[in-house]
Amino acid sequence: MQNITRIYALSKRNVILRYKNSAVGFLWGFFKPLLYLLILIVVFSQVSNIDNYVLYATSGLIFWFFFANVTNQSIASIISSAGIIKSLNVPIVFFPLSEILSELFNFMLTIVVFMVAMNWCGIVYSWKLFLILPAAVLFSFFTLGITLILSSLNVFFRDVGILWTTVQPALFYLTPIAYPEALITKHYGFIVKFNPIYYYIKLGRIIIHDTTFPSAALWLHCVIIAVISFSLGFLIFNKLKNQFISSI
Amino acid sequence: MNNNTLISFDNVSVSFWQNNMGIHSIKDLITNRKNPFSNKTILKNISFEVKRGECMGILGRNGSGKSTLLRTIAGLIKPQEGVMTINGSFAPILAIGAGLELELSGYENMNLLLSLYGKARKSEDAIQSIIDFSELSDDVLRMPAKRYSSGMLARLAFSISVANDADILIIDEVLAVGDQGFQTKCMKKIYQVKEEGKTILFVSHFPDDVMRICDTAILLENGVISHRGEAKVICEQYKNLF
Repeated sequence: MQNITRIYALSKRNVILRYKNSAVGFLWGFFKPLLYLLILIVVFSQVSNIDNYVLYATSGLIFWFFFANVTNQSIASIISSAGIIKSLNVPIVFFPLSEILSELFNFMLTIVVFMVAMNWCGIVYSWKLFLILPAAVLFSFFTLGITLILSSLNVFFRDVGILWTTVQPALFYLTPIAYPEALITKHYGFIVKFNPIYYYIKLGRIIIHDTTFPSAALWLHCVIIAVISFSLGFLIFNKLKNQFISSI
Repeated sequence: MNNNTLISFDNVSVSFWQNNMGIHSIKDLITNRKNPFSNKTILKNISFEVKRGECMGILGRNGSGKSTLLRTIAGLIKPQEGVMTINGSFAPILAIGAGLELELSGYENMNLLLSLYGKARKSEDAIQSIIDFSELSDDVLRMPAKRYSSGMLARLAFSISVANDADILIIDEVLAVGDQGFQTKCMKKIYQVKEEGKTILFVSHFPDDVMRICDTAILLENGVISHRGEAKVICEQYKNLF
């Protein structure tokens, strides 16, 4: 119980700090994907022959932005909380965890806003849309794993943070978010196959955009990737956590 | 050890990783062929005991390991060797500025630190006591802490520390920057805390303060306790260092 209050307090701090001196505050969570969407529509909608491109791109984008926001914000979460870590006995895992929770909250709000807005773009409202919830949980575990790895390595090598900002756009374009899947699978199918994010984007897209249900195999892929990512992240984090305080 | 012993250290050693290679070693770290870090020992074979109601001073040159010792006691650093027993709760260690989030306002800092400390329930009382003790005005407490003077930061930090009514109060040179009035007030508060039978660990570079407050003291030199005993004696030893 006490730990829940602590994580809540940290998440609250994250939100306050993030939108300090910002005019529209948390609405950025909605505007950022929207601006991206406009760019993608201008650039890609003419070249691709996907029906309902707006919905196609949106479903991928909201998942992508969750991943991008969480990793960007939490990569420095341990370093930037040095003051607290050095003065209070709080489990350090709470810092990346609180980042992911505050972003998950943001993500849910964004989804609801987009779902309403997508009314004009031909979204089919059905019970199927509730599958977003388990998909978001799986994606969160995957993201948490990545976050734990990045944020704990970043304590010792600050290059990790710098490197990540350059790797991220590459990841974005290597994942079929803005363009049809067939465009990349033709020649570079292996890239898609080994890109873990692809499976989650695909899952989200099938739920929101397609008329079919996601296959059991796809769910299984997502579960396995989430488990691997989470346990790897937890392992690395645990191995390094006792040394954090000497490097921050 | 008996019930009266709050803190007991038995041959505790603490060492840190020290990065001495540089940027290109991420690969080495992953493949583990070569550890890019070397171990640097900060505290060597530390043994002491602190009883309930005792006030112990910690003296030593800059860099002798005082802050590391405090953090080890507070459980922030895990010792590599030795046995460490702690029977009590800690107030947050607030050295000058550290622990306060500079972007947040005074009020936000109070709420954050109190809930991190685990005090969600009766935090209203705690907040009032912080406001009263720090003597900072409402306007000041609404400002981000980055605009505070070092004296104001110290006031806020010390007030939050003592508002937590923990068993063990750790004071890390927080008093040095407050003005005369606040220093006197802090000293009074420290005496009061001591009267209540709580334990205080006091780090200071002013032997006179240590002599006034503490019963016992330890002197750290290069990570080793070189002297341990009555506060007066140790303070003399400390003065002899320079």
